[in-house]
Amino acid sequence: MSDMVSADKEGMATELRRGTLEYCVLALLSKEPRYGFDLVRALGQVDGLVTSEGTIYPLLSRLRRDGLVKTSWKESTSGPPRRYYELTPAGKRALEEFKGEWDRFTRAVGRLLKSGRKS
Amino acid sequence: MRTATDSVIDTYMKELQQELRAFPATRRREIVDEVREHIAQARGELDSENEAAIRTVLDRLGEPSEIAASARERFGIRPARAGVLEGVAAVALLVPFIGWLLGTILVWLSRVWTTRDKVIATITVPGIWLFGLLGTLASSTSVHVSGSSGPPPPTIEPSGIERVMNIAFAWIFPLGVIVVPLAVAIYLVVRARNLSDAATA
Repeated sequence: MSDMVSADKEGMATELRRGTLEYCVLALLSKEPRYGFDLVRALGQVDGLVTSEGTIYPLLSRLRRDGLVKTSWKESTSGPPRRYYELTPAGKRALEEFKGEWDRFTRAVGRLLKSGRKS
Repeated sequence: MRTATDSVIDTYMKELQQELRAFPATRRREIVDEVREHIAQARGELDSENEAAIRTVLDRLGEPSEIAASARERFGIRPARAGVLEGVAAVALLVPFIGWLLGTILVWLSRVWTTRDKVIATITVPGIWLFGLLGTLASSTSVHVSGSSGPPPPTIEPSGIERVMNIAFAWIFPLGVIVVPLAVAIYLVVRARNLSDAATA
């Protein structure tokens, strides 16, 4: 029984993650370019956002193909050069659009959940 | 010097490559390179490197199949799973000639098997026939030569053709018609089960 509940909860988190993770990546890149490992670690500090770190790399690859991020190699003080990801103008626009949409959405859902609790 | 941790990482990377085989080479390389780099950096930060620590790094990365499933989802690539086509292909290969032809075509149409598997499936049966034929010809020729070196025997020796046929029926037929096709079919079924993609989480 408790297994089923936790499985449902896990499924719920997966669903929420699915649509939002790419914008979280864009948001993290909006301040400064980052390399993959650094980005993954920053995402990992947000609870429940990333369950398997390796799945971020296909996402980055897809964002690059869609022209939302671009990459450049930079020398590193320790070890080989690193591939840095940064937002393109299209990536910035997509992030702004998502922010507006997200605000509207969370406000609407928040209102609905609150009104549900009162009745 | 190669250590136990190196081989743990090698296995992981090989599995990842294998799981991503449906992707174009450049995209696969991009993902694989980034994961390799991730491991190298995580490794550099370990206080003491041991197998348990490396396994923890890999656990946090997730199973290669999980990364591949997520990659397929991001790029809209259908998972390759063994199904009716693969089953029919394996069974068809058991039927000589026309079945073998059909089975070979189906094997090449499948998205599950690797190119290496497909080549193995295609050349093994004709290969054993060719090998058997050449072998039989060679042995009958040598018999013929040894026979003709001395004075010609008075009795009618069995003709070369007859010898060839005898040997052919004795082992090429059972081998080429039953044993080898069966081995190929079993090999393909086992591979198809191992290579089928996990369902997307």
